[in-house]
Amino acid sequence: MAEPLPDEPKHVETKALILLVAIGALIVAFFLYVMYARGVFQETQTLTLVADDSEGVIPGMDMTFAGFPIGRVRQVDLGQDGKVNVLVDIARADAKWLRTTSVFTLERSVVGETRLRAYSGILTDPALPDKAQRPVLRGDATAEIPRLLATARTLLENLEALTRPDSAIGNTLNNVETLSGRLNGRYGVLGTALGGDAEAQQLLQTLRRVDGLLAKADTRVFGKDGVIDDTQAAIKELDGLLLDARGTLQKVDAVLVEAQGVAANTRTATQDLGKLRGEVDASLRKVNRLVDEINRKWPFKRDTEIKLP
Amino acid sequence: MPLSSLIYMKPGRWAHHAARYARGWWRMLHLGAVALVMALSPSTWNRANRAATSRHIHASTWQVLPWFTLLTALVSLVIIRIVLVTAQSYGLSRFALEMVVRVLVLELIPLSAALFAALRAGMAFDAGAMGLARAGMPARLATEETLLRLRRDLVPQVLSNAFSVLSLAMASSVVVLLLAYLNVYGLSPWGLDDYTRTVGRVFDPVITIGFVAKTVLFGLAVAVIPSAALLETLRHGGRYRSTVQPGALRLLFVLLLIEAGSLAVKYI
Repeated sequence: MAEPLPDEPKHVETKALILLVAIGALIVAFFLYVMYARGVFQETQTLTLVADDSEGVIPGMDMTFAGFPIGRVRQVDLGQDGKVNVLVDIARADAKWLRTTSVFTLERSVVGETRLRAYSGILTDPALPDKAQRPVLRGDATAEIPRLLATARTLLENLEALTRPDSAIGNTLNNVETLSGRLNGRYGVLGTALGGDAEAQQLLQTLRRVDGLLAKADTRVFGKDGVIDDTQAAIKELDGLLLDARGTLQKVDAVLVEAQGVAANTRTATQDLGKLRGEVDASLRKVNRLVDEINRKWPFKRDTEIKLP
Repeated sequence: MPLSSLIYMKPGRWAHHAARYARGWWRMLHLGAVALVMALSPSTWNRANRAATSRHIHASTWQVLPWFTLLTALVSLVIIRIVLVTAQSYGLSRFALEMVVRVLVLELIPLSAALFAALRAGMAFDAGAMGLARAGMPARLATEETLLRLRRDLVPQVLSNAFSVLSLAMASSVVVLLLAYLNVYGLSPWGLDDYTRTVGRVFDPVITIGFVAKTVLFGLAVAVIPSAALLETLRHGGRYRSTVQPGALRLLFVLLLIEAGSLAVKYI
């Protein structure tokens, strides 16, 4: 079999060797690529996230920061305290985005996969250390569904109660219908407001009477020799009376001016009287001193009694 | 002989046929083991065997690889477009790439490579058997010595068929991975990180080992089962019809079994 057969293609062994090497290289390259893609050649640090529920968390899922995958879940296990420990491998190059104050969330949407996200509010805080342990906040859209259903059910029951034929709204609507029927009736709003057509008719009759009454009153008040004419004459008389009263008041005013002059004179007289009294007081003091002088100079008389003049 | 033929015969002969059936499977496994051992033994690789294996590899892989890869690329391109457009219309485009990789690279391409190699191997066996018959060896009168010689001659063919499946699957997988990238991100290099991450997420250790194991098992099945079936036919002096490849049903059954087992391990 070592001799080449007549119909054998050329360089069969070389071609086979090339193929073997090429496929071997392809397989090795593929494995290296997969290992690179799995992060085997990447330096990582671990982060343990503690959650209450591991639902939706699978090894291999990404942890994202601002939408960029920075870590990968390596392992999910149940701790001794009943909490779920999610071990996340974070590439050293991307670990700078995680700080001691970073917050981690696990969001589960109704459709699609669960998402593990990291938020760093203050990027100047100290970096997250290796083997750190952090709680993870869980945002579960499906957890809201039972509560939502309960609320919706209550809402629907209320709606049903509202739309029943004997409900308040039903009665109100019936009344509104009656009302609109009356509004469209002969007496319209008036009949509706008064409660019936008969009452509206009565009101209209009353209004007609009031109208007649007003016509009569007009004649009596504004007509010839009516109340208004009498009133005008009275007003004229009152005008004359007021003129007289004004003259009288002017006289009283003059009297008061005179009285004011008398009062001024009296005040002047009172001021002169004060001065006079001062002078009398001074004279008296002089006399007093004179008497004291005489008494001192009068040797025989030891009577200390002072006799006023 | 298929096991279901037991219902058409007398119960007294059931044990005999069941034993023969089990022996058939055992011989198949044995041939596979022998082929593996011979492939790994340095003494096998003398010049004659190397030349024979080279010829088989040339026929089963070198001549087929470009056309198969081209065909797979075309079909895959259609499937990738369908998946992408559908996913985009439902707003699920971020799952499209993962689905393409999972469906095409992990499942469809290894299976189609195995089926293609099996078809190709079947044609080669037919020609080989016809050649054997022309050489003056009636199949009915095959002796143990002949069978041994045949087995020795078959080993390079077995190896080349296994290699063929592996090559076709790997080359097509790489081409499909490239096509998927180009379809999703275009010619821009900026999607490479995201793409690598997605590929990394799909190919976790279990999936990767499963993918490799499945491809290798497909290769072995395609290589061993028809050869074993041919030997079995010659051994029992059964009539050999060149229009029907021996062991075709058994091969299909085994391929489906491997595929189902792989799916079960991965997703159940």
